[in-house]
Amino acid sequence: MTLPSLVETAAGPSGPRVRASLRGTEVVLAGLALAAFVVLAVTTGGNLVEPATLRAVFQFLAVPMVIGLSQMVVLAVGQMNLSVGVLTGLTAVAAAALMADRGWPAWLAVLAALVLGLVVGLANGLLVVLTRINGFIITLATMTIISGVRYGINGTGTYQGYSDGLVSLGRASVLGIPTVFLAAVVVAVLVWLFFARAVRGRQLLASGGNPLAARLSGISNDTSLVIAHALSGLLAGVAGVLVLALSGSVNASIGDDLLLPSFAAPIIGGVALAGGVVSVLGTCLAAFIVRLVDVAQAQYNINPRWVDLVVGAVVLGAVLLSQKRIGRGGT
Amino acid sequence: MRLIATDLVKVFPGVRALDGVTIDLRPGTVHALLGENGAGKSTLIKILTGVHKPDGGTLRLVPDGWQAPGDAAGGAGGRELHFGGPADAQLAGIGVVHQERNLVPAFSVAENIALQRMPRSRGLVDRAAVRRLAQGCLAELEVELDLDRPVAELSVAQMQLVEVAKALATDSRLLLLDEPTSALTSEESDHLYAVVRRLRDQGRIVVLVSHKLEEVFAVADTVTVLRDGRSVARGLALGNLTRSQVVDLMVGRAHADIELGARSVDPRATPALELEAVSTAGGHRDVSLVVRPGEILGLYGLVGAGRSELARAVLGLDTITSGRLLVGGRPVTIGSVGQALREHRIGYVTENRKEEGIFLEQTVSRNVTVTVWDRLARWGVVRDRSEDTVLARYVDRLGIRLSGPRQLAGQLSGGNQQKLSLAKWLAADCAVLIIDEPTVGIDVRTKAAFHELIAELAEGGLAILLISSDLPEVVTLADRIAVMRDHQLVGEVDNDHHYTTMSGRVIRLVHGESQESGAAEAGASETGAPETGTLETGAPRPGVPAA
Amino acid sequence: MPDTTTSTASQAEPEAPAPAPVDQRRRGLPWWANPRVGLVAVVVALVAIFSGLRPSFLDVDLTLVPMQADITVFVVVGLAQLAVLSLGHMNLAVPRMAALSAFAAGFTYDKLHAPLVVGLLAALLVGTLVGALAGGIITWTGVNSFVVTLALDFGLLGLVALLYSWFTSGVAFSLHPDGMDALRSDTFNDYCAGPICGPPVPLVVPIAVVALVVVGVLFRFSRLGREILMCGSNARAALLSGIPVSRRVIQAHALSGLLCGLAGWLLAINNGAFSASVGENFLLPSFLAPVLGGTLLAGGAVSVVGTLLGAILNSVIQKGLNLLQFEVDQLQIYIGVVLLVALSLDRVRHVLADRRGVRP
Repeated sequence: MTLPSLVETAAGPSGPRVRASLRGTEVVLAGLALAAFVVLAVTTGGNLVEPATLRAVFQFLAVPMVIGLSQMVVLAVGQMNLSVGVLTGLTAVAAAALMADRGWPAWLAVLAALVLGLVVGLANGLLVVLTRINGFIITLATMTIISGVRYGINGTGTYQGYSDGLVSLGRASVLGIPTVFLAAVVVAVLVWLFFARAVRGRQLLASGGNPLAARLSGISNDTSLVIAHALSGLLAGVAGVLVLALSGSVNASIGDDLLLPSFAAPIIGGVALAGGVVSVLGTCLAAFIVRLVDVAQAQYNINPRWVDLVVGAVVLGAVLLSQKRIGRGGT
Repeated sequence: MRLIATDLVKVFPGVRALDGVTIDLRPGTVHALLGENGAGKSTLIKILTGVHKPDGGTLRLVPDGWQAPGDAAGGAGGRELHFGGPADAQLAGIGVVHQERNLVPAFSVAENIALQRMPRSRGLVDRAAVRRLAQGCLAELEVELDLDRPVAELSVAQMQLVEVAKALATDSRLLLLDEPTSALTSEESDHLYAVVRRLRDQGRIVVLVSHKLEEVFAVADTVTVLRDGRSVARGLALGNLTRSQVVDLMVGRAHADIELGARSVDPRATPALELEAVSTAGGHRDVSLVVRPGEILGLYGLVGAGRSELARAVLGLDTITSGRLLVGGRPVTIGSVGQALREHRIGYVTENRKEEGIFLEQTVSRNVTVTVWDRLARWGVVRDRSEDTVLARYVDRLGIRLSGPRQLAGQLSGGNQQKLSLAKWLAADCAVLIIDEPTVGIDVRTKAAFHELIAELAEGGLAILLISSDLPEVVTLADRIAVMRDHQLVGEVDNDHHYTTMSGRVIRLVHGESQESGAAEAGASETGAPETGTLETGAPRPGVPAA
Repeated sequence: MPDTTTSTASQAEPEAPAPAPVDQRRRGLPWWANPRVGLVAVVVALVAIFSGLRPSFLDVDLTLVPMQADITVFVVVGLAQLAVLSLGHMNLAVPRMAALSAFAAGFTYDKLHAPLVVGLLAALLVGTLVGALAGGIITWTGVNSFVVTLALDFGLLGLVALLYSWFTSGVAFSLHPDGMDALRSDTFNDYCAGPICGPPVPLVVPIAVVALVVVGVLFRFSRLGREILMCGSNARAALLSGIPVSRRVIQAHALSGLLCGLAGWLLAINNGAFSASVGENFLLPSFLAPVLGGTLLAGGAVSVVGTLLGAILNSVIQKGLNLLQFEVDQLQIYIGVVLLVALSLDRVRHVLADRRGVRP
């Protein structure tokens, strides 16, 4: 058949060994990550395993991890969210402004950032459900608006010294492990718990996997969509807080370069774009691998543009591979 | 519980789908629901499961142990049911096992079974309880399945069992199985039948909707037969019936024989389309057919017998693995619909009018001229006026009613849409026309007009392959009738246009019944009617046009 | 015996003489639901407001000429998206297809010293090839168009940056071919035949007009365009009507790529530089213009005139707010809100159309 996409029905199992292939992907990714790490460590003459370098590797893994999860949450219900990157920037800048300009205590500003992310995500979800328009287009529009608001807060100015406490906490380590990375791991575990154990999480996956079956089982697919978008916004808020804690200075350009990583991590991690299947571990491992590409670029002084090309090509390849797999396994 | 539906009526625009259906479903029985296509089975199922609301009649639920005085034939008593939606039917204890699988592929067996009532504690899934619930349901069915396996990894038969278990998880007292074995091997079917019997022995009601008579006789206890929206047999005990009697009930008798098929076809003329021992990737084996110019070959069979798929193989949409395809006497290979149309003048009027036949959001005139733009184009430009000229030709000839050439196809009635989807092939000047289920969902008057039209086209020299599950239609129109079963031709008969004899011969071919049973003529009412059953014989068929 | 021949209303009617053909869109929906009418009204109102607040809004050299050049680019960008919206597809790689095409043009100028037209052809060719590649991947794998083009956009993003870093010393080609600067800054007013001079219209404008006419004729009259629309309307029915659906999908994406190439080249001319940043702001306008103009996201119906109006609206808002000294960021907010409102109107039109049984 020359037109598989036109003939297949929306509902019904796609037939492949979903779970098995997912585990396979995770194992492959883990092996790949390990191998890349070892190769990189050896070829840089052990530079990579120096405590300082290692700390930097994991410190700057935190944000890509969380942002990848943020995208994964909406992919779970078969949606996309183009606004995750700029929303991360907005929450970071907004919280910095609250601390620096309004003198809010750090904890309150952090809370405000999280609430802001949640509210924007909720708005995305409601717009998608109310207009019944592709989430991609909706979030394209909200992305533009958010990015305008993000610049509107402080123009091109930079906030520094908004909270010494928060920044020193962000740069601290516990038992040699950076706190921001720990925070990202905690978030990942929570997201995993949500999808693996929580009733809501399972309902989200049911909506993504087979909307018809979900509806007949009394699950509201609209509710699932709204919750997924809201959660995605909340995670973008978390990523914003991590940026805030890690960098010590924030400006309106934050988040512009996060869109590609946000898709790269879940897609390479084996998350089905059609929805219904997530992999927290795969997403985190993929984020780690992308991070290693960054590290390699820095270590070997390669043109940073290679990273985009390589990651883009890998993402395209991952999409094609997953589709071929489904195509072959189909009923 | 016992479910009694009395005098159900359901009217759709242009069609009276149910016209007085009474069915009495008693606990501890497997009740078969039979009827040819269009008899009203699916409408009845949708009413029982709360998808449709009936326009007349009642649904009553009689609790176990209820014994009203003088309630022998299911008279008054019990609670009247009014379903607002599928959820209400579920609450009332009615579970459905659909033909399309309603499972979440990535979820485990246990979770799919428990999906409708996910056991939870403080927002988390209580996994132990999920497993217990699923295990309990599977144990009731005496089925062994790995609870943790994703259903995507299961076979179709196992998925079916998961669906049955899923219905049990909501405490369904009545289970509706809609063509449950259509995708199963015979071994898997036997297993399912064992499960069905077990459900019956637990005191549940199982309603089995099936085309397969052998299956019905193997597992069902009682049968209700629908014909033209009426229940012509109500709860007869199958033990007292023969297959032939059931077939006669489904077909009905007392038909005016129809005079539409009297055409003279030259049997020596070069066939317009010929299949020589064709096998396909879709599973057809050694299919041989001949259609001559001016002839209508009826291709009859049950849904799923592979008739439309055969048409699609001819059009190059499925691969022909062996055998030859001849058009006008010359062997050809066809790779696409475009090639079939432009090089071999073969057209295909699809059965799924709305999904594949017409373009609802496009204008009427584009819907008709889509096949001839290459001919209308001058320097690649198609003028609206030349389109309208083509359209005008068929508006008159086919009697299409529209307000103008710019009307959108979606605004036309079903019959006019069907004419539209035929017109585009006439416009393309086809020599061979494969017409697939032309009158499904079309009201009686339009149907008669359509039959005359098809006969006229054949008289005009077109070779027509008429795929239809509507036996009266085939007998009315065809010169010869080929019968297909399980992707193979099981026979071909010359049509003598006498409905009574033809229908018997054809249906026996379909069900693999070779012996001609004369006893059936006596009717089931003498031999078979059990105490609660009633039987209507000789109801006039409103669906057959009198020519 | 109950009446078994209940007919639908239309069939029960006595045979009426067929009324004259009426445009269903206009007959079936209220005038305000026609996006073209609304767009004209909004554009007129905005022009009145802006010129009232800032008379310089009507200044030819300061505003009107540069605005025409902007519109030229946005129209072509909108058409690039429209070409695939006709199928019900999307092209998220519009920005990078434009960037890669602009690179190709710049390369031929800088390294091969090619004349202006050759560079344009190179841009069109590269755009077409990349677009066809996208279409090919979509038909071959059956993956959703927006996923394929999104991934393609990522890949091209890196590729374009790398190409510039390999072939230029900085981030842009420095050599300009003959005629480029004239094309960039001149208007027909600069060319006089005796005492009569042309109107104050930039030289690039006719290029967009040609693109509009060609795309308009293609979808309105040609077999190819009509068949693409049929595929967008109902792909299965198209396949079973003998339309080679896969080929049409690839052709529509190739057309989209071609128009991306044209848009990239035009923007580079307007900016006076062939650089990696060409096209980076194309994605939103590419949806804005056709969607505002009434092109359906679902496919099967396009409006070329609407796309022109949508592009004009976009430019009027940008220039007007710019003159009122709004910052770039506020501009973005308004543009985003405009798109959201347009999308919601699209939804309202759908609901209305459903209720009245006509196409929006």
